[in-house]
Amino acid sequence: MLIFAASDKGGTGRSVTSANLAYHRALAGDDVCYLDFDFGSPTAAAVFDVADARQATEDRGLHAYLIGEVSEPARIDVWADTEHQVLRFPPPGCGRLVLMPGDVSGGEFATSDDNLRRCVDLLMTLYYEFDLVVVDLSAGRSYAVDMVLEATAQPEMSEVTARWLVFHRWTRQHVAAAASLVFGKRGIVAGGVDRGHDEEALRGAIRFVRAAVPDPESPLWSQVSPTQSAWMRKTDGDLKQLASTHGIGYSQVLGSVPLEPVLQWREQLITDEDVLDSQIANQETWQALSRLAGRLTDDKYWEQA
Amino acid sequence: MTAAHGQPTRSVLACGEVRTCLLPSLPALDGRAATQLLRLRADEHVRVSERPTMYALSPETLTGVDCRLPTSNGTKVRGVGTVVSRAALTEGRLLQSTAYFSVPAAGPDLRRPWGQYLVRPGLVEPFGKLPQQAAAEGALRGAERGELDLGMIAESLLAQLRRHALLDRRVPFKSSPTRLRWVARRIPAGERASLANFTLTEGGLRTMELRLPQDVPVAAAAGLCEDLALHDWLLTTVQHMLDNSRIGAIDGPSVVEALHPVVVHLLHLWMPRAHVDPALGHLWDVLEQKPGFSRQWENLSRRIRDRLALQAVAMPNQALSTR
Repeated sequence: MLIFAASDKGGTGRSVTSANLAYHRALAGDDVCYLDFDFGSPTAAAVFDVADARQATEDRGLHAYLIGEVSEPARIDVWADTEHQVLRFPPPGCGRLVLMPGDVSGGEFATSDDNLRRCVDLLMTLYYEFDLVVVDLSAGRSYAVDMVLEATAQPEMSEVTARWLVFHRWTRQHVAAAASLVFGKRGIVAGGVDRGHDEEALRGAIRFVRAAVPDPESPLWSQVSPTQSAWMRKTDGDLKQLASTHGIGYSQVLGSVPLEPVLQWREQLITDEDVLDSQIANQETWQALSRLAGRLTDDKYWEQA
Repeated sequence: MTAAHGQPTRSVLACGEVRTCLLPSLPALDGRAATQLLRLRADEHVRVSERPTMYALSPETLTGVDCRLPTSNGTKVRGVGTVVSRAALTEGRLLQSTAYFSVPAAGPDLRRPWGQYLVRPGLVEPFGKLPQQAAAEGALRGAERGELDLGMIAESLLAQLRRHALLDRRVPFKSSPTRLRWVARRIPAGERASLANFTLTEGGLRTMELRLPQDVPVAAAAGLCEDLALHDWLLTTVQHMLDNSRIGAIDGPSVVEALHPVVVHLLHLWMPRAHVDPALGHLWDVLEQKPGFSRQWENLSRRIRDRLALQAVAMPNQALSTR
């Protein structure tokens, strides 16, 4: 299965959350490949803590592959190459976790027939090889989004299950922006239909992920004043209402990730060690990520509302 | 190969790369479909043999090259000529593509008209003298940017075949492709071919060195390497499936489900040297001695059968009725 991770704006935690989902699936025994299609600012190497391996594969990344400079994009075996103390010892029985990095110097580029062909070949090859392929796309309506929309519309990819996660923060602007990224005039759905996607099918393959959501019920906020607490509940309710009027209400949401300092500041994978031993990350975050990871392939969450 | 065109065979080195993967098609292809798939050229036939396994070999196609040859010590050698590529399909299930070429010890310092290169298919001539050791090591290490990249040629043929309209683009199970890079140094005619250093490296890459008598065509070496690559792929793939937690930890009918593809699609594919040139068949013995390809395969198949047998004993009805 292919998972495309998109977001309306930067700073939604798209990269770090989707990387965590890839990690959870690999822990559960799936062979997972993570592609950094964020051509403007590739960050995946930092998230997986593979800076040295990244150096060694410099200029042989996805960008160089798509424009035809190298025959195959570099692969980094995360378990083997990470400098992260916990990731280096994956539990027995977990699946492969492979990172295909972007290029440090690679910017955006227009989609030509040749790099579209390469993109389709790459996605198909990985689809045959991995249980789950996570593609992290640049923010907004970028060339990366256009390219994969075009690629997945090709007849040879018609048998491939591709799903979209749209990450947005839990604020008024972000809710509106995420809705417009998907349903707007120049949005993903319209762009997909232009390229030959079936509108119903494409809509059915898109779900939203609310990131950095403060939960008013969380013990984190138990010390705030009653006025603050009432205001938080009210705002949260208003946002839900707003999301629903924008067409990204409850039935379109795959899950939420709570506001988590470790995700916000460290931008790295959250391991069970962070939750259980050092306890710098919240149990709720781990559970939310684990739930989301499970729902990626659970058809129940992808049925048309 | 050059001998066929009235030229003396004078290559000192041959280099090649084989890519092996599962054909993206739910049903295995029969002989007729395999012929259709592998018809890379209208003017030549696909060779199909049905015994002892169904094996189809495409006609050869040529790719013109004019670029630096990879060398291990950074020596810059420009090579001009043609690279041969071909594809093979075994039991309608495993797809392979190979790209290879031969190099003579030295070539002219001037580039000649294309016609002269085309009459020596599969020969890449160096400008000046070929640093043999460095070129052999470079070929095994693989091409850097701007160098002659056999992997790219083999991969593009593979990609072209996987796009074929005949295929439903579904795979019965997930698996990783493998790459085998090989070099063959030429030895005088009449001597015995030998094999050294079959090495497994990370990322599904294998390398191998051969010594090949002048009277054995390079295509025979390519055939041997394809045969080894195929069996190595089988070992690698089945081993990975067995190592996977979902077989180690789970129990019940899901074991049957997880092992099902191995039994249905892979166990019968083991047939070493079935389509290898008799002059090179003995090279298999080296690998049977150490590391012992067939021994490992027997062990793996036994593990799978035992596992299924245990399952059948434990849950005679449930386990088998799910399939």
